[in-house]
Amino acid sequence: MTDIAVSEKELEGILRDLAGRVMEAMESWHDVVFIGIRSGGFLLAGNVVRRIQEKIGKAVPLGALDIALYRDDVHRRPFSLEVRSTDIPFSVNDKKVILVDDVISTGRSVRAAIDHIVDLGRPKRIYLMVLFDRGGRELPIQADFVGKHVDLPDEKVIKLEAGPDNVSIKDVVVSEVKK
Amino acid sequence: MNWPHKDLIAIQNLTADEIGHVLDMASSFKEISKRDIKKVPTLRGKTVVLLFYEPSTRTRLSFEIAAKRLSADTVALSASGSSFSKGETIMDAAYNVMAMAPDCIVIRYPSAGIPAKMAELLSCSVINGGDGFHEHPTQALLDMYSLKEHFGRIEGLTVAIVGDIMHSRVARSNVYGLVKMGASVVLVAPKTLLPPGVESWGASVTHELDPVIPEADAVMMLRVQNERLNERFFSDAREYSIFYGLNRKRVEMMKDGAVIMHPGPMNRGVEITHDAADSARSIILDQVENGVAVRMTLLYLSMGGTANVD
Repeated sequence: MTDIAVSEKELEGILRDLAGRVMEAMESWHDVVFIGIRSGGFLLAGNVVRRIQEKIGKAVPLGALDIALYRDDVHRRPFSLEVRSTDIPFSVNDKKVILVDDVISTGRSVRAAIDHIVDLGRPKRIYLMVLFDRGGRELPIQADFVGKHVDLPDEKVIKLEAGPDNVSIKDVVVSEVKK
Repeated sequence: MNWPHKDLIAIQNLTADEIGHVLDMASSFKEISKRDIKKVPTLRGKTVVLLFYEPSTRTRLSFEIAAKRLSADTVALSASGSSFSKGETIMDAAYNVMAMAPDCIVIRYPSAGIPAKMAELLSCSVINGGDGFHEHPTQALLDMYSLKEHFGRIEGLTVAIVGDIMHSRVARSNVYGLVKMGASVVLVAPKTLLPPGVESWGASVTHELDPVIPEADAVMMLRVQNERLNERFFSDAREYSIFYGLNRKRVEMMKDGAVIMHPGPMNRGVEITHDAADSARSIILDQVENGVAVRMTLLYLSMGGTANVD
């Protein structure tokens, strides 16, 4: 069973709101970079960055982070997770990093992402942006910018789907987790 | 794709999809070696034992660096200087190592079949670092990765493998892998250095190098093992070099974009001259660099999940 968590119109409103709140929080842009967790977080980050760039009229660096090698369940899953590439074409040293993920729940992915980022350098600060906060934290981690709080049973997963251009968000899909 | 193998013994055991999966994933692991902090925590707490019953520099160092970059602990043992040289059988040695609870054993052994036997009898992962004249699967995977990195594909490439095919596990593993991935392979060697049954490998075979050179996208030179010089497989190093060596003249005959490969260690002046080894066409050091990424991938795949652990 699948259904759409938010309408296209509501999603557009949330993305604009997230971009607006980041712009309010940042005093200047010279040291701000976005890093999205593959794959949903990177997709979301691209959409937020595009909206910010349109407003401020300059490029904001965007990188992609793959956290498979930093997860704490490497040896608890039946098979090795797919490893995709981390692609961060800039230094994170002394930067304000806005770390982006599509959904936060336990906080374990964010923990892995932070560990990965500090292996790449020493940022000045790391902020966290998520589209959906579904609660259920198992680590003391909170997001600075949340699109929407949602209440979902554990067996449901939320996933962002890219459009045919691989850049826009086509759908937000909620589905039953495969057991 | 789920990786269904506890061990890596032979390219013959892998499907084309599985080979493709390793090659795709290896680029992600390559990026790690370019960071300031060249280490990820993935295999923290895992122990990798390197058992080398034959001399090795590249393979052993490459495995050790690969394991360390994944945060695994490594212990390297070579036959000389250990009690393996006191007459203990290889399986006794293996059970003793196993009693110390390693998660993976990388084994190089002078005769074929020992890694497969160990994989069958031991619960940890076993990776073949070269067994006799059988296979050297990680070398073939890094060679295929290097080809794919350079050309963007393997399918449709023509790869010439030149030299002592008979005694070469590198040649066997490469032929099996390249053929599975859709390349055409030409084996070039004197009759005395071709094993019986070579026709069944799926490669074409010739004794003449010059006609092959302009056709090949990659020319892979095999090391002439010094010990073979005395075994009358060919008259002498000079003659071998004239007929089967890669020299400047032959490099100039190569087609545009074609590359030179060698699994190392090179015998400069025998199978390859300085001109060829150091030419702009050489991707020999890329092969070494890629070896670390490919071995990181294989260690991760072999030890990463619970399904492979008893």
